[in-house]
Amino acid sequence: MAKYIAKRILLALATLFVIVFVLFVLIRIMPGNPFNVERMTAEMIALKRAELGLDKPILEQFVNYLSMLMQGSFGNGTSLYNGAPIKPILFSCMENSFKIGGLSILIGTVVGLLIGITAALHRGKFLDGFCTVTSILGVCVPSYVFMIFLQYFFSYKIPFFPYFFDSSNFVFSSIMPALSLSLFTIATVSRFTRNEMVEVMNSDYVKLAESKGLYGFELLRKHVLRNALIPVVTVIAPLVVDLMTGAMVIEKIYGINGMGKLMVDAIAGDGVDYNYVLALGILFSAMYIFVMLVLDILYGILDPRIRIDKNSGA
Amino acid sequence: MKKFLTLILMVAMLLTTACGNESEKGTLRAMLGSNVVSLDTAKATDNVSFEVISDCMDGLFQLDENGKPIPAIAESYDVSADGKTYTFHLRDAKWSNGDDVTADDFVFAWRRHCQESDKYSYIMGDTVACIKNADAVIKGADPKTLGVSAPNPKTLVVELNAPVPFFPSLMCFATFYPINEKFYSGLEKGTYGTTPETFLYNGAFMITSYLPGAANIQLAKNPSYWDAANVTLEKINYQVVSSSDNALTAFKNNSLDIVQIAGNQFVHVKDDPELSKNLKVVDTGALSYLTFNQDPKNHHAGALSNVNMRLAISNSIDRESLVNNYIMDGSKATYTAIPINFAPNAETGKFFAEDQKQFADYVGLNPDRAKEFFNRAKTELGKDNFDLTLIYANDAGDTTVKIVQAIKSQVESNLDGVKINLQPMTKAEYLDKVTTNNYDMAVTSWVPDYDDPMTFFTLWTTSGSEISEHWSNADYDKIIENCITGNLAANYPARWSAMYDAEKILLENAVIAPLYTRAEVNLISPNVSGIEFHSVAVDRVFKHAVVK
Repeated sequence: MAKYIAKRILLALATLFVIVFVLFVLIRIMPGNPFNVERMTAEMIALKRAELGLDKPILEQFVNYLSMLMQGSFGNGTSLYNGAPIKPILFSCMENSFKIGGLSILIGTVVGLLIGITAALHRGKFLDGFCTVTSILGVCVPSYVFMIFLQYFFSYKIPFFPYFFDSSNFVFSSIMPALSLSLFTIATVSRFTRNEMVEVMNSDYVKLAESKGLYGFELLRKHVLRNALIPVVTVIAPLVVDLMTGAMVIEKIYGINGMGKLMVDAIAGDGVDYNYVLALGILFSAMYIFVMLVLDILYGILDPRIRIDKNSGA
Repeated sequence: MKKFLTLILMVAMLLTTACGNESEKGTLRAMLGSNVVSLDTAKATDNVSFEVISDCMDGLFQLDENGKPIPAIAESYDVSADGKTYTFHLRDAKWSNGDDVTADDFVFAWRRHCQESDKYSYIMGDTVACIKNADAVIKGADPKTLGVSAPNPKTLVVELNAPVPFFPSLMCFATFYPINEKFYSGLEKGTYGTTPETFLYNGAFMITSYLPGAANIQLAKNPSYWDAANVTLEKINYQVVSSSDNALTAFKNNSLDIVQIAGNQFVHVKDDPELSKNLKVVDTGALSYLTFNQDPKNHHAGALSNVNMRLAISNSIDRESLVNNYIMDGSKATYTAIPINFAPNAETGKFFAEDQKQFADYVGLNPDRAKEFFNRAKTELGKDNFDLTLIYANDAGDTTVKIVQAIKSQVESNLDGVKINLQPMTKAEYLDKVTTNNYDMAVTSWVPDYDDPMTFFTLWTTSGSEISEHWSNADYDKIIENCITGNLAANYPARWSAMYDAEKILLENAVIAPLYTRAEVNLISPNVSGIEFHSVAVDRVFKHAVVK
């Protein structure tokens, strides 16, 4: 197992390196200046390029960037917030996105599982149909539409929740964005849970367990859920990254300082901020790779068969 | 059943008490249309940043409610007979750390500005403030040679290369605010103004919550402010709101006290008996115009180096229709190179562009004349069909999209043979293209920096702005130079009339096609009074606002 994990980590690092390189080159090809050229003369632009080291060959720039990364720094912005150090800003945005994303994953998974299980247990009946319709709606309706709906009814018509996000009143003001973000997760999780459970419940080993006299919650926990959850975890994992890395539209509407908003600001501002785009890109990729790594390990815990397979293979 | 009833009661109580949208006495909740770019006066370039900086900082002068400069940190000042030396006598004012605000703070800030500002350093130099040696310091000379000195902590002497008639008004601009050198030097490089703790205040308010890019910024009254007795607001709560639909709902919901809305909402709000009472339409002094790339080498724009071609386009645009049918927010159709209701004459009080008909021979909708110009252009260029590209920044909002579409349809229907391709792009790409001469036509706008027509005229000199029209005219350059540093600088009436000559050259050559003077529609809560609006230096001043 340890060898297997070490191998995966090495592979993850190699993947990350390739991603950093491709990102680095792509951003430099992108149209637009890395800083705001408004009111700058040609000489000033040339000076600024030299100051940022953009006049050097691209490989040299890449090596410099890598060595900066190795020292644990993302550098300073090239245009955004006028060259302030990136790290504190990035971390504070990460914190907001993580909190709201985390909350929405929690809501999404718990509610999604409950709906999925309920639907599976009442297969073919009214509740099943109701849950299916709900989950189809959840997949179809974009989260920001749901967000506007929530904002309209629960902040405007009935002014219960605050209209904008307020970090000093985090829990209360993050309920609505988290709820709207969780819609897609609820839908996806409930659909997969239901389908997998129905399949597992029809399988021979469940029937055997039933015939041996196991029933109710015990049967559900020991035989059905455990087997049904593996594909569900596979679906949740990328959603976790999606939600954690921020939601651009929702963050904009609700005024949340998150990573999605930061990414939009970095690309669509007066200049394309090379360093922010890179830092965020690296972070997103690293998180994705990390979650996939965790997923692989989790498979082993959820399903001993995979663990044994991997062990013998490694 | 009892349990159920209790639950319902609890929810009802929560609903009535937990409502988060109630206004608080003494707290102003204001919308910001975009993020604060920087709180560092040498780095800020946008109106939003300048507004927040001005909440927290005072310069030598400030604007009164009518936009006239009145002393702030400067208690009084003397000007030498030749208008080239200003001596400011400072009042007793404190920084929020207890230090005195001294003349050295201004010297330090101005020197630093020349060295560190990328985009606003020019304002110190010979096109605007004309401070002695500023241009040399910007280019790398010893900052100690800059024409600003502090003979004692309460006296600031500024030497200019030429008399600048609007110098006191310029002192209201954030660029000229002081910085406490001791405080600044104690900070890690690049962190000045990035958190409430790394910023020092000598103004009416202090920031209590902020981080670059923050969607919510909180300010509280500065107890050590020299004019604190006249500040009644206790707090300002800024919220960045990017969509005006959202802004309108937040206002109706009583989540914000002052918001800006767009034209399509203004049309409805205007007719609403309740909401219309809260409207306030403000002239921003910003001019929107169509700019032509006149570089004959540009294979696309070759046609636009022809003056008749440009005049034909300018005469095909129905500006009244643009503002009434597309923008609809109270913006005013403009037929001069200087916006409407901007830059009053110091002697007569009349705005520079009061007469909108003076260039009617070149600017304005006239389809017949447009065709005439177009026929001449076709003969001169030996071509009948023209494919032109009009670029715009797609993140500039709905208004820009509507305008470019209107211009396309108006020009194409009036000039048979002209085809305009609209090309949206990100702002970064747009700026890149207009500065590197890689475009045909672009819709752009300019926000004035100081209260004088020169803030616009310097855009079109040969060495002028970064938006390159690739147009050069020796007569025009000569007039502008004479007005700034030449023999007209000290002669106010002659300078004023010479600027009209410059404007004539500009418009008879159709270097640009002026479109409209931008207005801003505000909704202000009836509980709030005393907000001041300006077209230069600071858009909104909240210092004297009162929230009942």
